Amino acid sequence: MKIVVCIKQVPAANDAKIDPETKRIIREGQKAVLNPFDTYALEEGVRLKSLLGGEVIALTMGPPKAEAVLREAISVGADRAILLSDRGFGGSDTWATSYALSKAIEKIGDVNLVICGKQAVDGDTAQVGPGIAAHLSLQQATYVMAIQDVTTESITVQRMHEEGYDICELHLPAVITVLKDINVPRVPTLKGRLASQKCDIPVWKPADIGAEPDKIGLDGSPTRVVRTQPPPARNTKSIRIEGTPQECAQALVKDLRLRSIL
Amino acid sequence: MFDTIKNKIYHVEILPPKQETEKLETDLENFANKYNRVMESGYYACITDNAMGHLSFQGTELIEELELPVYPEQIMIHLNTFHTREDLDNILNTCRSKGIKYLLIVSGDGSERLPKLQPADIGAEGVESVTSVELLKYIQREYAGAFVSGVAFNPYEPEDHEFAKMERKLAAGASFIITQPLIEKNPVVDRLLDRYPDVPVTIEAWMSKKIYLLSEAVGYEIPENTAYDPIATLKMLHRLYPKCGVYLSLLGFKTQYDLIRDTWV
Repeated sequence: MKIVVCIKQVPAANDAKIDPETKRIIREGQKAVLNPFDTYALEEGVRLKSLLGGEVIALTMGPPKAEAVLREAISVGADRAILLSDRGFGGSDTWATSYALSKAIEKIGDVNLVICGKQAVDGDTAQVGPGIAAHLSLQQATYVMAIQDVTTESITVQRMHEEGYDICELHLPAVITVLKDINVPRVPTLKGRLASQKCDIPVWKPADIGAEPDKIGLDGSPTRVVRTQPPPARNTKSIRIEGTPQECAQALVKDLRLRSIL
Repeated sequence: MFDTIKNKIYHVEILPPKQETEKLETDLENFANKYNRVMESGYYACITDNAMGHLSFQGTELIEELELPVYPEQIMIHLNTFHTREDLDNILNTCRSKGIKYLLIVSGDGSERLPKLQPADIGAEGVESVTSVELLKYIQREYAGAFVSGVAFNPYEPEDHEFAKMERKLAAGASFIITQPLIEKNPVVDRLLDRYPDVPVTIEAWMSKKIYLLSEAVGYEIPENTAYDPIATLKMLHRLYPKCGVYLSLLGFKTQYDLIRDTWV
């Protein structure tokens, strides 16, 4: 089974800053990490490979430094990785991004399953996975919390919603986006980390994947960001309550009531 | 473990490189240098397990990948409850195959990226979560006779609770104790020594000058600019606790290592 896992490098949660002019996240000089939800997508891809054999390919689009998350993917079991990086991709919204990723998936060829995290924690749109499915005309299931069964022909998943979950059977090839309930991601080993540093990661440009210039970057993006703002910083101040257990409990309840939490 | 006290052998904590490091080669080299230095000194190298919940490489994989020498009487591997069963068994099997026999079993600090052992994973019944007690029982059962396991003692926790926990840890197979850092005489540790005279106790000495980092551990605020002399404190702890071993946490290998040689007199 050939599995493509789409991943994204995102700003570390505490470091996110927004350009007041462009309303976009400033990525230069910021600490960047693998999107947390993508760790579950990677784990699921590696887990399925161990069950069915085949290959896991990590795919991302971003600046050259996004190569770091691809190496992280290899360190936890992806067989190879591909980076889409070019100025032409810059400014892509979710539609243009999913178009570029879908063209790369077409170029990889014979892909049975595409797995994405449910969303990236920077944009929080949850649109790229479904966008890939739309561009490739594939069946899709979002918010997958468990895979019940998988063969070379089909995959049966539990898809979470507000009132429980649906059981969906998809014919392969298909696209799924996964929740963190689906597995416990493995931690990279030193052996894997060292191996990931030595491997070559090809960089594909728009022409390499046959992407039409007016469908990528700002020109290919039908949405415009009108306004964004960083969330207020969380107050993490801690308070220590002294006294007997009963006194502490009473003081805690009183304090919570004063703050209208209880 | 009583021999380490009699022979004045320090336990030296070594922190493995963090997973997120951007200078892995340098960090690996530093780790190997520290490890080899401890081995050459005849001390114990105590390798932590994702200390403070920071994702780090495992001691066993570092020893294997870096092909470090293993002197079984000089290595202690920390092991906490934040692993998958498969990882846990890999670590224990590597220890066994390399002849590493000393383990420090702790509940540990988790993080979002770390899996947590579940009771069913290790056959623990009647408990809602896995603590060092359940982990000890598992090791005693599945790896009988392979390891000498120690446990932590926190004199800053409510005393009755901590002593009750210690009873369970010893009943589960713990055979030595290492305390949380001490910076002065501690009456709870005194009572620990009185209660378990036959169990080797090693006290932790905080070797960083940043004493304020201990605020959370000791349960009271230590101002950030508080002056602290680790070597003087170490000497004081030797005087106060002559029957105890000493575990050196956050030891400065460049500035302090050569000074400790003549400290335990």
